[in-house]
Amino acid sequence: MKSLPRMSSRSRQFLNFAVTFVSVLLCVLILPTRMPGMELLGISPNWLLIWVVAWSIKRKRTVWGAASMGVVLGFLQDAMTAPHPTHAVSLVIVGVLTVVLLKSWSIPADIVERDPIPIALIVFGMAVVAETVMGLQFLAMGDRALLEIWSDHQRVALCSAILSSLWAPVIYFPLNRLWEMTRKLEKS
Amino acid sequence: MLKNTLRRWWDLRLPIALLGLAVTAAWGVRETQGAPLFEVYNWVTRPFQTNGSGQEQLISARTQELQAQLLESETQNQKLKELLGYVSAKKPKGIVAPIIGRSADHWWQQVTLGRGSNDGIKADFTVMGPGGLVGRVISVTPNTSLVLLASDPTSQLGVGITRSRNMGFMRGKGGNQAVMEFFDNVPNVKPGDVVSTSTFSQLFPAGLPVGKVISVDMNKTPAPEALIEFSAPMSSLEWAVVYPHSKEAEQKASQGQSSAPEGEAK
Repeated sequence: MKSLPRMSSRSRQFLNFAVTFVSVLLCVLILPTRMPGMELLGISPNWLLIWVVAWSIKRKRTVWGAASMGVVLGFLQDAMTAPHPTHAVSLVIVGVLTVVLLKSWSIPADIVERDPIPIALIVFGMAVVAETVMGLQFLAMGDRALLEIWSDHQRVALCSAILSSLWAPVIYFPLNRLWEMTRKLEKS
Repeated sequence: MLKNTLRRWWDLRLPIALLGLAVTAAWGVRETQGAPLFEVYNWVTRPFQTNGSGQEQLISARTQELQAQLLESETQNQKLKELLGYVSAKKPKGIVAPIIGRSADHWWQQVTLGRGSNDGIKADFTVMGPGGLVGRVISVTPNTSLVLLASDPTSQLGVGITRSRNMGFMRGKGGNQAVMEFFDNVPNVKPGDVVSTSTFSQLFPAGLPVGKVISVDMNKTPAPEALIEFSAPMSSLEWAVVYPHSKEAEQKASQGQSSAPEGEAK
């Protein structure tokens, strides 16, 4: 196989697209599994949320790019569970919030790229936000009692946040490395 | 100015087209209830699907199921002797299916079965596990089917206490438990009583073992409540059996029954 710099721009773009697509597919397919070590009280990491955060953290990502990818992954998760309430809302909010956060605090991108701690913290916060949005949607739909949603939310938000933040580097670092490499090669 | 904006948009035509394509594709997947995704999932996980381990747990749960069923049939038999002229339907044959996945998010209690419409499974079919009722099929693809567990907060079903025939309805509570609300103000119920589906439930056939009462709260308003533990091990299921069931047939049967002498609900 040819190394990345020696590929033509077109095939590099194709490879980039293919890897992105395959990584989304992997995240979607791993959702229904409960592997030992990836499970806490029957709850597994929120892989799609990790993917959306990884996508939104990328340098020069616009709010629109993050939001539309949030919609895509949200629809995919809807397809795997139940379409009402939609998961797209929580993932869009997560994507947009990540972009806005990075821009408004102007966190240097190379710090996030080298260190697993900031990415874990961001994913932890975003998981809590996402589950809260889902809880609010269930409350607005009105077919579950407030007390049930609240007790579910505590369990779900905490377990999902802990597991997602621990597993975030697994998704983030390979994807980010690929995107960074192709971006640098595009520039030069 | 306008020219610049236009040029900027023209430069962005590829990302915009790709994002639009991705959103449309995802919408399509959502509309088909993820049928291609589940098919791919089934294909990928086929080498890892279990082959009936954890035999002992299954056997002890199976004994519990049989006991509950026996108690149910005894009580039903007693009733039937009183209501002469009742002819029971033949029990249909079930489809055994492995459980290949659990819920894809944290708010729904669902499982995915490794058999689908190719094996004759349809939506609304009843799913039983070792120990008793598990849930209801909500969507099928050619080789997989999605099951909403009875422990999901959105799944409600009519149930009754087998010993005293007190009726009520049950709401899932997540995990392995459910809450039963009684129709009577002073139901005859105590911890340890066996709970089964009642003739009021239209989504499930009557008389399936569901679980055991573990505590009773008589002072709850507006109706007394009981906490129920499912007899099927919801969190460690590996196999399930799917039985045919359809809403229309159930409605017809209950309409036919309403002309029979009343007395079941008392």
